Amino acid sequence: MSTAVRPAPPATDRGGTARPLPRQAGRRAVRAAALLGFVGLWQLLTSHQVQLWVRFDHLPTALQVGQAFGRQLGTGQYWQDLTDSLRRIGLGFLLAAVLGTAVGVLTARSRWAADLLGPVLELVRPIPAIALVPVAIMLFPENEQGIVFITCTAAFFPITVSTRHAVRAVPPRWEEAVRTMGGGRARVLASVVLPGALPGVVGGLSVGIGVSWICVISAEMVSGQYGVGYRTWQAYTVLDYPGVFVGMATIGLLGWLTSGAVELTGRRLTAWLPPRAGGDDPRGGRG
Amino acid sequence: MTLRLTARNLALGHPGHPVLHGVDLDVEPGEVLTVVGPSGGGKSTLLRALAGLLRPAAGELLADGEPVRGPGADRALVFQDDGLLPWRSVRRNVELPLAVRRVPRALRGAPTAEWIGRVGLDGLADRLPRELSGGQRQRVQLARALVGEPRAVLMDEPFGALDAQTRAAMQRLLLSVRERQRCTVVFVTHDVDEALLLGDRVAVLGGGTVAAVHEVPHPRDGARRTDPAVLALRERILGSL
Repeated sequence: MSTAVRPAPPATDRGGTARPLPRQAGRRAVRAAALLGFVGLWQLLTSHQVQLWVRFDHLPTALQVGQAFGRQLGTGQYWQDLTDSLRRIGLGFLLAAVLGTAVGVLTARSRWAADLLGPVLELVRPIPAIALVPVAIMLFPENEQGIVFITCTAAFFPITVSTRHAVRAVPPRWEEAVRTMGGGRARVLASVVLPGALPGVVGGLSVGIGVSWICVISAEMVSGQYGVGYRTWQAYTVLDYPGVFVGMATIGLLGWLTSGAVELTGRRLTAWLPPRAGGDDPRGGRG
Repeated sequence: MTLRLTARNLALGHPGHPVLHGVDLDVEPGEVLTVVGPSGGGKSTLLRALAGLLRPAAGELLADGEPVRGPGADRALVFQDDGLLPWRSVRRNVELPLAVRRVPRALRGAPTAEWIGRVGLDGLADRLPRELSGGQRQRVQLARALVGEPRAVLMDEPFGALDAQTRAAMQRLLLSVRERQRCTVVFVTHDVDEALLLGDRVAVLGGGTVAAVHEVPHPRDGARRTDPAVLALRERILGSL
């Protein structure tokens, strides 16, 4: 019984292995410095009104934008815009996650579903979601629903395509293992297909959340009332340039936070995957 | 709990050019039948058909006289590797056949723990497959195959990817585990020595069919390897491959 007493494979194999602390702190410092450097450069170029081929003399300075940001943070309107956008994206993205995963699994596992849904999906997929604004306006009684529809459509395709590929890539052996235990279709789906495809689904969700930000903001600019996109465009029409930049920074921050949340949730759910070599891996243990 | 597996004039693969044809084979209830043959000779194909994962192109495949219509819990399958679900811990992999059969959670713990202990993995129940060595993973597969008390265990080169020492330990483990659970075993291997060590009988594939079935002429004990009759059989099988 030599293997029974054999020690576990090298500890580097484990999910929770911590990187040496100084290195991690060092990387954080570099990242913070990169961000500060970007803002600093912006301040320099705009405050000196640099005119190379591109002109920085019309752009608000980082400081002006910062002041405007501070002022807006104190207003109720800013927070209402923010929560409006968040609600739209939350609803649209959630719907897309459920529908996209379901359709992805269905088209990968059922020839009938692939034949029935495939052609329509392939035809609609290349249409940018934002080009659906007229359709949304005609279809839905309220703007609000139309925006959610567009956000959902935008995220739906990356999610469904990634899911379909991931389901097809699940090794047949895992399915055979469960079938030889007497498992039927539903059991194979629940115990093999869904967990096995999860890493790919998570990839689709990550792309999807990014795309849905692009589309919620664009949809708000075109047809919204309230919302960060609407406010940003509004600021531009009244020549409030710092306001435009406050909107852009808000979009950037929200996008970063939400995709970070998706990414983190995804990693928690797929903690069984071998740790990635090189990249940062904030996983704590294997959840 | 044993199972008789019978193939009658069985053909597998494409009807036009089958991988195996004209296979007549009787796996006796409770015996260990080892199957050897050249690689690509249809060993795995035969095993997958017995598991119910492949439909015969022609002929009959019977389990206790009933036609095999698909996979079922009475015939457990052990793969060479990668048969474990990587997101499930050792414990959750081993209990899977019970979960599939809807055994209540409270009743799964005891047999699961018992089998994890029996294959020598006490203390590793919470590990993920990737945190185990190759030999340990095959132990998990063995426990998972047997926890559901199948009537037959079908093993597809289960020790083929292991080093010599681990492989010997696994062979001993398989035999000792079988002392407790007398199910039918069909064991596919490319290693004639392994086939002669483990089998009551050895089926030799060749020319796209079962070319011969030999009784191993010595009880399964320490002296089996050195019995002249067994050695002679070994030469005969090696010569025919």
